[in-house]
Amino acid sequence: MTGRALVVDHVTKRYGARTVVDDLSFEVAPGRVTGFLGPNGSGKSTTMKILLGLAAADGGTTRIGDRPYVELDAPNATVGAALETNAFHPGRSGRDHLRILARAAGVPEPRVDESLATAGLADSGERRAGTYSLGMRQRLGLAAALLCDPPVLVLDEPGNGLDPQGIRELRDLLRHRAGRGDTVFVSSHLLGEVELLVDDVVVIDHGRLITAGPLAELRHETALVRSPHADRLGVALREMGAVVERAPDAPDATDAATGLLLVRGVSLGEIGHAAFTAGVELSELATRSGSLEDLFMQWTHQQATDAVPGVDAVAVAPEEKEVMA
Amino acid sequence: MSTMQRLTRAELMKLTTTRMPWAFLLVLLVMGAINAATVAFGTDMDGSKAFVSTAADQQSLVAFAVNATMIAGLFGAIAAAREYAHLTVIPTFLSDPMRRRAVGAQLVAIATGGAVLGAVGAGITIAAVAATLPTTEYGFLIPALDVVRVIAASAFCGAVGAVLGAGIGVVVRNVGGAVTGAVLVLIVAPPMLVQLINSTASWIPASLALDLSGVETEVTAPAAVAALLAWALVPAAVGAFAVRHRDVA
Repeated sequence: MTGRALVVDHVTKRYGARTVVDDLSFEVAPGRVTGFLGPNGSGKSTTMKILLGLAAADGGTTRIGDRPYVELDAPNATVGAALETNAFHPGRSGRDHLRILARAAGVPEPRVDESLATAGLADSGERRAGTYSLGMRQRLGLAAALLCDPPVLVLDEPGNGLDPQGIRELRDLLRHRAGRGDTVFVSSHLLGEVELLVDDVVVIDHGRLITAGPLAELRHETALVRSPHADRLGVALREMGAVVERAPDAPDATDAATGLLLVRGVSLGEIGHAAFTAGVELSELATRSGSLEDLFMQWTHQQATDAVPGVDAVAVAPEEKEVMA
Repeated sequence: MSTMQRLTRAELMKLTTTRMPWAFLLVLLVMGAINAATVAFGTDMDGSKAFVSTAADQQSLVAFAVNATMIAGLFGAIAAAREYAHLTVIPTFLSDPMRRRAVGAQLVAIATGGAVLGAVGAGITIAAVAATLPTTEYGFLIPALDVVRVIAASAFCGAVGAVLGAGIGVVVRNVGGAVTGAVLVLIVAPPMLVQLINSTASWIPASLALDLSGVETEVTAPAAVAALLAWALVPAAVGAFAVRHRDVA
C-alpha cells in the first residue's frame, strides 16, 4: 500500500477565547518526509490531534487521502501515530503494551516482536515501561506506530531523548519508509536533525501557516540586499508586496545608509528593477541560504523586532550565496 | 473476529497486565480473613455463636454482593480513569476513532472484571466461613442453591459496581477524583438520599444487593436487577456521551 496525502484544509481550533490553530491549510505528500515545525505552543500537536480525530476542529477539515481519519476503514493499518512519549501504563511491560495494541488492531502477535526489534527494544520488551529511559519510551512509541506496518506515519517529536545512534536509526528508518512511497509527517524541535531528514517543511506559528514547501526551495527564497538607501528601498519593495526585514545584528544595522535587508516574496530581478525605478543604489544583491535554524528563527520571528520605516527587523546570520550584484 | 471482539479482548488484556488485579485480590483475601476471624472468635452479646446458628444467619454473613458493589466500583473507577491518566486512551481511540465501540468494549471488559471480582470475593468469603465453622458447634448450613445465588448476586453486583465506577472514571478522568466520586456515589450519597426521601431505602445499591443475595425480600429479584442496572447505566451513559464529544488532551 502506498502512502496517502495528508490534507489540512482551513482548520481552526479554539480553546475558549484562545485560537490555537487559525485557518491552517497545507498538504503532506506521500513518498516524502515532511517536517512540521513551529515554536512551543504554536499548534503543532493540536493540528496532529485534529488530523487523527483526537480533537475536533471548530472549522475546516482534515483528510487522510480522500477521507477524514474517523471514516477510515482500517485506521490502524493506514496511519501509525506516536503523539505522546508516555502513552502507556508504567506498570505494564513494553511487550504487553504492544500486545494490547496488536489485539485491538487484529495484528498477529509475531508482529509485536518484529516491531520491538525494529525499534531497538528486542531485549527490553519484558521490562515495565515505567522503567524505560526517555529514549526507550520514544522507541516504544515508534514500535507502536510501526505495529501494523502502515503507509502513513504521524510522529510528534520522535527524536526527543534519543541518543545519536537512535537518531540515526530513526532517520534511516523514516527515509526508508518515504523511499518506498510512505507518507512521513514528523514534528520536531531538533532542527539540525530535521535538516538532515526532511524533504519538505510546514512551518506554523501562533496556529498560522508561515511557510510550506520543499526545504531546498525555501532555503533560496530569501534575498539579501545591501543598499546605502535601505529605508527607501524597503518602502519601494513593500509597495510591490514584498516582505522586507532588516538584520539588526549586521555591523551596519544602525546605519540606515548602508542597511542590510532580507527580502521575501519577490525575485532578485524584481528587486533590481524596484531599486532601479526608485533610483536607489544597490551594493549587494544575493540569494540568502542559512541553516534551517536561521530560517526557522526568521520564519517564526522569535527575535525582537527593530522596525525602521517600511522594514521589519529579524536577527539572522546569513550566508551569502549566488552573489548577483 | 469483529472489531468489538478485538477491542474487548484488548481491554481485558489491559486489566490483566498490571498489578491492579493482584491488589484487589489481596483486598478480597483480607476480607475473607476478617470473615473467618469473625466466625472463629466473634460472639453475640451473650457469648454464644448464635450469629451463625441458622442457614439464614450464615447466608447473611457470606452475602458478599454489597461489598462487591463497592470494591468493584473502585476497581471500575481506577481502571477507566487511569486510561486518561496514562494517555493509553490515545491508541485506543486511534484504533476506533468513532469511539463508540472502544467505550463499549471498555465497559464490557470492566464489567467482566467486576463480575469476576464479585464472584471470587463471594467464593473466598464462603470458603473462609465454611473453613472456620468447624471451630464452632455449627456446620455449614447454606443450601447449595443459595450458595450459587450468593455467588451469582455478588458477580452481578460486581459488574454493576464496576460499570458505575467506570462511568465516573470516564467523566472525571483522574484516578483520585474517580475513586472519590465512586465512594461518594456508592457509600456516602445513598444514606443521605434515604434520609431525604425515606421511601428510597429499598432502592439504594446495598439494599438491592441484599435482595438479590436472598438476605432481604423488600424488592423482587427482577426489580432489583433493573434498579441496579439503572444505577450503573446512568453514569456509564454520561461517560460515553462525554467521551464522544470531548477532545483527548
